[in-house]
Amino acid sequence: MTVLLVASALIGVGVWGALAQQTFVMLMMGIEMMLNGVILATGAFWAFTGSGLPKGQVLVILTMAVMAVELAIGFALVAAVYRARQTDMTEGIGSLKG
Amino acid sequence: MNEVEQLSAPLAIVVVSVVLVVGVYVSSVVGVVAFRSAAGQPLRPASAALFPAREARRLSRQQSVRTERPDMILRVLAPAGFLGLAAAAVTVIPLSPGIVVADVGTGIVLFGAAEALAIVAIFFHGWSPNSPFALVAGYRFVAVALSYELLSMFVLIGAAIPAESLSIGAIVESQADLWNVIRQPLGFPLFVIVSLGVTFSGPLDLLDSNDLAGGGSVEDSGIQRLAWQIARHAMRIAFAACAAAVFLGGWHGPLLPGGLWMALKTFAVIALLGFLDVFVARISAERFVRLAWGVLLPLAFLDLLIAGVGAL
Amino acid sequence: MIDVAFVVFSVAAVASGYGVFRVDSMIRATYLLLASFLNVGAILVLLLAEYLGVALLFMMTVEMIVMGLFMVMFMMNPAGLNPMNMVHQPRFAAAAGVIAAAGVAVVAVFADFPDAPVGAESATTRELGIELLGGSMLVFESIGVTLLATMVCSVILSSATGRFGDGYEGSLAPALEPGGDHRPADDLYDPDAAMGHSMHGMDHGGMDMGEMDHSKMDHGDKDMDDMDMGGMDHGDMDHDS
Repeated sequence: MTVLLVASALIGVGVWGALAQQTFVMLMMGIEMMLNGVILATGAFWAFTGSGLPKGQVLVILTMAVMAVELAIGFALVAAVYRARQTDMTEGIGSLKG
Repeated sequence: MNEVEQLSAPLAIVVVSVVLVVGVYVSSVVGVVAFRSAAGQPLRPASAALFPAREARRLSRQQSVRTERPDMILRVLAPAGFLGLAAAAVTVIPLSPGIVVADVGTGIVLFGAAEALAIVAIFFHGWSPNSPFALVAGYRFVAVALSYELLSMFVLIGAAIPAESLSIGAIVESQADLWNVIRQPLGFPLFVIVSLGVTFSGPLDLLDSNDLAGGGSVEDSGIQRLAWQIARHAMRIAFAACAAAVFLGGWHGPLLPGGLWMALKTFAVIALLGFLDVFVARISAERFVRLAWGVLLPLAFLDLLIAGVGAL
Repeated sequence: MIDVAFVVFSVAAVASGYGVFRVDSMIRATYLLLASFLNVGAILVLLLAEYLGVALLFMMTVEMIVMGLFMVMFMMNPAGLNPMNMVHQPRFAAAAGVIAAAGVAVVAVFADFPDAPVGAESATTRELGIELLGGSMLVFESIGVTLLATMVCSVILSSATGRFGDGYEGSLAPALEPGGDHRPADDLYDPDAAMGHSMHGMDHGGMDMGEMDHSKMDHGDKDMDDMDMGGMDHGDMDHDS
């Protein structure tokens, strides 16, 4: 249970960071923090309530793969947005034109 | 899975320290001998044997120059982290049939993680002095390091396949009849290339190189420089020990005790790395990146294929 | 002992996570995030998910190296030499963070979980390997195909020759006057510019070249000094002895 509290703290920090930061890269770091908390929570569920079945570990690996995918596509999008709009602030893509 | 007993904490610290101190000294002497034989100077073994001590004394008495607004936390963390990671890498390698500091079940992955964190430490070393050449050297090194990082993992996993375990002790035991350097011929040369990269020597001497006026160490002097050199040699020891354990059969050998064989094999790999450091010219970073992703990575896949077919 | 280690790792994970969004230096923010991941990996190892913890360490290290490069590319103030506070809607975001953490924590405290802990003797890594290539092979292969699609996507999204023209066109600053050049008037010599502009440009071009020579000389001196020091490291101590 304490592990889940730690995981919830990590998720909370991630949400605060993701919503408060103005630049895309810091926003992505907030999302990474949230996924970090999710991985910890999944690992805790597997260790304490999953009786060590290996399918729980597969879920953790799946979450880690999601993290990698999000990082790659996120950075590609950041680069594409910079090329299209000359900005790295989230306010810069407020309108749908272009 | 293995019957070695885990060492107690103080004994573990002593073992790792002895290995690193002796290893760093031997590696420095080998470096001096290689340099002198390449430069055509007389070898003078007595002076070569005392070289590390003289160099340490000279550097420790040199003035430590500070740059303007360095990142002091990272500046201290770089050599400390590099040395600590070398020590961590040494702990998972079995040094003899009875002595292994911590033969964890996932030793290979831990070694890879230590190698990846070493790249972070080297980047800190280039980033922290707030100096342009150091930063360029750090970036250049990261670009090259990301290329051979994958190589090292595939090659180590290929060596782990016949052992059916990720612990290095089990890999050593699986080589009781045939060494991995013969069973998987591509593994050892690729691992030597990775070792040259992580210790930035030889063809991959792209970090502290002379073409960047000293590169990452351009602002280093005194204790900082000494600490960085020691950390670099310590990492070379760790990689040489891992190569000896994973590819050259570890402590297996006919007549001598296991620990002595391990020391001899590690020394052979250190000599190989030291001589390659001096005798092979530097490859340009772009050319190496192209080579790594285009040629060496398919070779690593081929090595995995050979290992897999061999395990069937 | 394990409890103490767990408390240390959890506090370090949350503290470094908080520090990610508080420090000025962007590189420190990235590597504080790495520190947070390292601590979570350590906790996973404590939870006996040995391979997962170490694989998390490994993966996140390489990810944070790449993130560090992107930080320096896209963020102002990468070294934190100036203090800055770049937040928008700070109070709303802080409230949302607290509410999210509280929501998950409420579930954690009050829900009734079955108690089936992992056995201390189980070979979790071996079981994971057998499961991945046995029962969960479909999951494994789908992850592989997804990662391949990701690689192809990111290359396409960030390729230099975009769908609407050259990719680098968009990353150049817009011109100061409409229809003008994107470079400021006192930039380096521009061979395509008009005559009047080019004479102005050539003056400054000459000055720029002079400046470049001067700086090269400085670095040249430094080069010689450091080459001496580099040579001495390699054992060229014969001069002294």
